[in-house]
Amino acid sequence: MSVATAGRGRVNRPSRRKIRNRVLLYLALLFYLMIAVFPLYWMAVAAFKSDTDLIDTSVSPFWFKRPLTLGHFNLLFFRTDFLTWFGNTYMIAVSVLLITMAVCIPAGYALARLRVPGGEKLAIGAFLSYLVPPTLLFLPLSQILSGGLGLGNNKWALVLVYPTFTIPFCLWLMIGFFKRVPIEIEEAALVDGCNRFQAVLRVLLPISVPGILTTAIFAFTLSMQDFIYALTFTSSSSQELLNVGIPSSLIRGDVYFWGELMAAALLAGIPIAILYNFFLDYFVEGITGGAIR
Amino acid sequence: MKEAASIGVPRAGVARRRARLRRLLRPATGYLLTAPALIYILLLVGYPFLLSLYFSFNRVSIGGSYEGLVGLRNYTSLLANPVFQRAFSNTLLFAFFGEIAKAVLGIGLAFLLLQPLRAKKAVRALVMLPWTLPFALSLLGWQWMYDPEFSVINYVIAHLHVMRPPYPDWLGDPLWSFIAILAVNIWRGFPFAGVIILAGLTSIPSDILDAARVDGAGFFRTWHFVITPMIAPILFIGLIFDVTFTLGDLTAVFLLTQGGPGFSTQTLPMLAWQVGVVGGNLGAGSAITLFLFPFLLIGVTIFLRMLYRRESV
Repeated sequence: MSVATAGRGRVNRPSRRKIRNRVLLYLALLFYLMIAVFPLYWMAVAAFKSDTDLIDTSVSPFWFKRPLTLGHFNLLFFRTDFLTWFGNTYMIAVSVLLITMAVCIPAGYALARLRVPGGEKLAIGAFLSYLVPPTLLFLPLSQILSGGLGLGNNKWALVLVYPTFTIPFCLWLMIGFFKRVPIEIEEAALVDGCNRFQAVLRVLLPISVPGILTTAIFAFTLSMQDFIYALTFTSSSSQELLNVGIPSSLIRGDVYFWGELMAAALLAGIPIAILYNFFLDYFVEGITGGAIR
Repeated sequence: MKEAASIGVPRAGVARRRARLRRLLRPATGYLLTAPALIYILLLVGYPFLLSLYFSFNRVSIGGSYEGLVGLRNYTSLLANPVFQRAFSNTLLFAFFGEIAKAVLGIGLAFLLLQPLRAKKAVRALVMLPWTLPFALSLLGWQWMYDPEFSVINYVIAHLHVMRPPYPDWLGDPLWSFIAILAVNIWRGFPFAGVIILAGLTSIPSDILDAARVDGAGFFRTWHFVITPMIAPILFIGLIFDVTFTLGDLTAVFLLTQGGPGFSTQTLPMLAWQVGVVGGNLGAGSAITLFLFPFLLIGVTIFLRMLYRRESV
């Protein structure tokens, strides 16, 4: 396009306009990047600043005046239960992932492939339960789990609770992935002498590995975004997950351990953000109804 | 699939019976495979939801002490309570202003990500950070940015001379704290709005846009008459997701203000937490959260209509 316009008019004007548009584009981009990334930059700076540097208002706060310190990380690892929260969080997330996949792979296959009367309504109904916010469920769930099942202040209660939002969404994703595998592949396996079960096990599942992995990572990451359930179901440091343990232990009354807070938030948050980013496209597709087509 | 029954062969009866059994089994297998997922949802979403309805009509407290049916009294006493009224209007105001800002920022971001950019994947990953980071953790950074003494925002304000001192006390002043909570909600949600709108824009076949251009439609006409109607279903679905998130979010208010100062940032989830968990009053707490339900119902209805409309297109 640029060649055509440049050839027709004077060379000067279109190219100047192009440059101006380009500059505007990058300025707009810079604006978005600033908004999105600055809080993180600010956290990173605080995580490595010495305490005296943190509260020195005489110099520009955007960079370091005194030498960088690893003291905050040190304190985090050796004087708090950070590693326990880290272990708890990943342990719970893996358990949630396993439960979610164990339930969603068969259900997703059935709803995508078998003739289940009312299957589509079931799938949509299951998905709609994703729209019920945790806020509506945390009080009755706390009564059921702490009162009824004796799981008060127990991180394993979360393994039961998190699938309430991972199953609806992951089921939806799995249906979409299975539907996208051409049915001819399974039929060919049946013709070749497999029965239905073998066809699924030897042909459909291996082909669907990318979809299954995506869904699994989704379940894993989604459970790490929760705050309200973790706050409701855990109250002692040994049971807490990162999202609750960090603020509840590093904010003591009016005293904020800013350096440690920022170091902890970054260490806990960055891996999750990177993982989440990998399946963002599937998330968007899942939401916008990719599965139903 | 019709099983061809062979005629005259003695084994025909067996084959036919087996075929009938298989046809019968197929839906049964389907239900069997679906059952664990459905039972899970019924037991841990459906049942708690009904339980919270039941709580809201009773006087129940944590620990299970039950003091009888009170009918609608939980609801009526809430409606007369000024703190509840404030929480209710704040919740809606946060959602209203938040959605407008997220829509504006999201449209800009979507068009930006449509352009040919260098290192687009990296750029998108960075812009998405507010959405991909756990909110509870990024909020800690915001809390540091809102610090009454060392707020970096106030540092910038002071050095750009946009405002005279006193500078905003972000979490201690009624108006500024409202703005502060609104800002973190917008910050968290705008990347999501951006990718949803982008998904809509890229779903429009380019020949339709070419046709609009050939017919002489300018940018705003194309946007209004061509793009918006085509991506409306996707936009609504994204909107519902974000509204349910915003209406039900406890994290921001819990970590930054606890509803204060006074009740200026009080919201329904925060109040439900204080009444239901801290105060131990499950009946009133459940009633508070159920005030979110009508909005949920509207959302679900629109979601279903959009889903089917999208399917039929």
